[in-house]
Amino acid sequence: MRGFEGSAAVRSRWRRPSWTILTSLAVIAIAVTVSACGGSSDSGSTSSQAATASKSSSAKSGPASGDLTVWVDSVRLPVAKAYAKAHPNVHLKIVTFDGDANGATTLQTKIQLWNRSGKGWPDIIFSEQVNDPVWMAKKPFEYAAPVKGLVPDNALSQWPAPSTAQCTIDGTQYCVQDNLAQVVLWVNQKLMHRFGYDVPTTWQEWAALGQKVATEHPGYIIGNSGDSFSHWVYLWSGQCPLQQLKSDKVVINSTDGHCTRMASLLDPLIKNGTVPPLSVFTPDFAKKYGGAKDKVLLMPGPSWYATALFHDTLHIPAGQITAAMPLKWESETPVTTGQVGGGPWIISRHSKNLNAAGDFVTWATTVFNDNRPGYPAYAPLADRWLQGLADDSYFAADPTPALKGAANLIWKGWNLVTYPDQPVWSNTVVTKLVAGKPLSSLLQPLGDGLAHAAEAAGYQVDRQ
Amino acid sequence: MRSVALGLRLVILAVFAVFFVAPVLWLILAPTKSDHALVTGSPFSFGSFHQVSLAWKHLDAFSDHIFRTWIGNSLLYAFSATAIVLATAIPAGYGLAFGTFPGRKLLLTLTLIVMIMPAAALVLPIFLELNSLHLIGSVLAVILPFSFFPFGVYLAYIYYATAVPPDLLDAARTDGCGEWLTFRRVALPLAKPVVALVFFFSFVADWNNFFLPYAIIADSSQYPIQVGLSDLLSSTPSFNPAQGGGGQQVNIFRPELALATLIAVIPVAIVFLLSQRALVRGLVGGAVKE
Amino acid sequence: MTSSYAEAPRERGLRAAVRRTRGLRSGRGLPFVLPYLPFLIAFGLAPMIYAVKLAFTNDEGSWTGLHNFTRTVDDYRFGPAFKHIFVYTGVWLGALVVFVVVLALLLHGRANRVSTSFRFLFYIPGALAGAASVLVWLFMLDPSVSPGAFLLHHVLGANLFVESIAPGHLPFIFAMIAFWTGAGGWIVVMYGALNTIPPDLEEAARIDGAGPIAIALRLKLPLIRKWIAYMVILSFATGTQLFVEPQIVNQASLGLVPDTWSANQLAYQKAFRYADFNAAAAIAVDLLVIGLFAAVLIVTRTGLFRTED
Repeated sequence: MRGFEGSAAVRSRWRRPSWTILTSLAVIAIAVTVSACGGSSDSGSTSSQAATASKSSSAKSGPASGDLTVWVDSVRLPVAKAYAKAHPNVHLKIVTFDGDANGATTLQTKIQLWNRSGKGWPDIIFSEQVNDPVWMAKKPFEYAAPVKGLVPDNALSQWPAPSTAQCTIDGTQYCVQDNLAQVVLWVNQKLMHRFGYDVPTTWQEWAALGQKVATEHPGYIIGNSGDSFSHWVYLWSGQCPLQQLKSDKVVINSTDGHCTRMASLLDPLIKNGTVPPLSVFTPDFAKKYGGAKDKVLLMPGPSWYATALFHDTLHIPAGQITAAMPLKWESETPVTTGQVGGGPWIISRHSKNLNAAGDFVTWATTVFNDNRPGYPAYAPLADRWLQGLADDSYFAADPTPALKGAANLIWKGWNLVTYPDQPVWSNTVVTKLVAGKPLSSLLQPLGDGLAHAAEAAGYQVDRQ
Repeated sequence: MRSVALGLRLVILAVFAVFFVAPVLWLILAPTKSDHALVTGSPFSFGSFHQVSLAWKHLDAFSDHIFRTWIGNSLLYAFSATAIVLATAIPAGYGLAFGTFPGRKLLLTLTLIVMIMPAAALVLPIFLELNSLHLIGSVLAVILPFSFFPFGVYLAYIYYATAVPPDLLDAARTDGCGEWLTFRRVALPLAKPVVALVFFFSFVADWNNFFLPYAIIADSSQYPIQVGLSDLLSSTPSFNPAQGGGGQQVNIFRPELALATLIAVIPVAIVFLLSQRALVRGLVGGAVKE
Repeated sequence: MTSSYAEAPRERGLRAAVRRTRGLRSGRGLPFVLPYLPFLIAFGLAPMIYAVKLAFTNDEGSWTGLHNFTRTVDDYRFGPAFKHIFVYTGVWLGALVVFVVVLALLLHGRANRVSTSFRFLFYIPGALAGAASVLVWLFMLDPSVSPGAFLLHHVLGANLFVESIAPGHLPFIFAMIAFWTGAGGWIVVMYGALNTIPPDLEEAARIDGAGPIAIALRLKLPLIRKWIAYMVILSFATGTQLFVEPQIVNQASLGLVPDTWSANQLAYQKAFRYADFNAAAAIAVDLLVIGLFAAVLIVTRTGLFRTED
């Protein structure tokens, strides 16, 4: 009997609300379970609508319609939105993601998940990694659809041959590149005039200028080395064989003369602060060298730096920036330059609306030209874009001759592989550059890291 | 001498208090400032409410209001899973504490073992399991694994074993109650402290869980808010500038990220505050000094 | 309930009835445990067994012995990843044990409103676990916005974000983030544990002339050993499975911090990028074994789960 009294006393101390919480939780749980049983993915509706849209890949007639899902990075978001606006018959779902930037493996993990569960693939993906289509076309991913028949043939023929070659895997073209990303020398003409410097034409002149700047105008820079793609700017231009396919092997020779001489050229400049190991897109860089500080004298970099970097990110004032031809090594010919990006558009072979997918990609690469940051790969559009740039009063002088001239100079000795090399550069080299180590001492670890990555991806490596 | 010791104690406590609180204070104040003000102004200055509404506008506009979807997902997962946890763990704790069935000790040991196993290491097999049941892509793929919360069972077991005398239950049985009635009439009402505890731990664990949803959810509109935050981080210029441009069109900079983080923690902060008492009182099952 | 004296017939009958129900030994309590069982099996035991099976077979299901284990150890990222998490776990556990205990003792020494307020303040970051806390600390580690910029200059030698997250700093930074979010909860637990010490003991020690420090170290500390062990076990398990922090810092640093910094990240990449589930399972089993070993070690050495206590 005592027990009951005790429990009654205990019971009276607790307030009712806890029961209310419990019962409402139970109600929620039941409601959720019921709704969850109703299924969650909307792939069902997509396929029923797409059934009415043409599924034939060769059909070019009829306006695009139906459902489309496109994955873009933040820079390509305006393109996707513009397409949706111009094509009201297409119900476009836009998903913003990291674009697989800086060597991320986001798309690999996502495509695996979709493959495993048998559903969920977006119809179109834009990737910032130019090597993504290489593995997307192969097992076990098998995501990419051949573009022939989806993008009209007469358009496809107007992409430059090297660009098409980068999208061709085992003889079939699996993507189209959105833009060319040839490296040129960006020049702050106003500052160069003010300081009385001539624009360098060779790497040697550029390095000598760096030494001068360090003593005469400390704080000003002539380049940077801390981006995840800086090796594409300097080592690709310099013909360093870090990623060269020879039959089924990949040649990684980071101590080749081409690599060591470029590293020796860069080391004193990194040390004296004219080529700092920072990334141009970090807030720290903008604070130190951008905006009112305006300390960027020269910058070897890709064509899309034009407005995206100088205007949008660094807020360099108008009337200062122009472009010059890429630097050459003494008097060596042919002149080669590097490539930073050139993002491909890839269409899914699982798409239920290939007609609209092809239409989207075609429109995005051949029609859209509204504040486009990149040099279009599609030649006729490139001409219009260049004209727009030439007329743009932001620049001190017309940058287009250099951009156009450099378009065909990208060194072909750097091939596309299935693994990203940016992370290896970032965590073997850049971290040590920040700590003050010279680049020359980091070439061996860079080669080792790339070799590991290649082997992990299944390649046979030739270190020479 | 004694006041020096007291003073020292206060200083040490204050230093740690600053360490714990300053970042949170910064976080609360950050959305009131513009990105520029964050960099140039004092870290603890207050900007304006207008800035907060601007930041919210940008955040909400990202990817078609996906931020709201993420918060909704987290609420769905956390509440559903916690409801199931309460429904299974409290009776299980009771059964383990007072039961006499064969294998009781084994079950307890297994629960303890699984409890200290790194949960993340089990995500891969759970994924393969869920995939073979064709659940990948459904919300159940997240809710069901979340509903397994051995710590909740253990808490309930400890509570029943230490704070509820068996005599109470025997008295109920003497009165003619069957097992179920004994539980419902006696054991369950007494369980209110541990219910609050289990609710708290389960909800917080589900809300903060990152690895499982990150690994098995392919559709970003099904992400809970924690994974959504990392998605936001990687899709926006502040920390992940895109090649081919700065991506400024997306309009998510540091104030927006700070606001997103703040909103992401508000539900669990509320649960925290409400559960303060239950935690202090019920956790150790002993007398509380104050 | 003894029956050494004569009872009234009614009570005798009652006791017999109760004994009868108690006699239903097999099965009592089982129905209450049943709803929990499917979850325990589906999401606790089966995955553990499945992970072990995957670790010892290849992708066609045939037995491969220790092959998966040896080839993952050979992976160039394995060594660094495990080294990272061991350093991280060591630093974190050290900080937890030392600071949590010290703070709890300091708070308990003079339990009053001030003490309660401090406990609440320590507890606040606990609401920000996971991705949210990492995001906050990304800002705290960036010298251009952080309120602790002068600390970053002087302690880490960092004037830029990239310097803050230099490879050598990372285990300490991650440990600090984990401590920041987790310490508050454990301080509450330790405080509660200290509260179970009978006040008479403390009184007696004080009468004997022991000062507050002596009381803390010689009386209180040994009595909460069990809870400290409990904290170490749970934290060890979660420490070695570190994932969120390095994953987010990998994104924020534009790849400077690799996406295979921790062992769990490597397992994730193996499984979800290379589709090499067997290698991933081998790494998972490595982590399972380490967690189990540490748990058994601590449990047996402190008698933690003796339910008779």
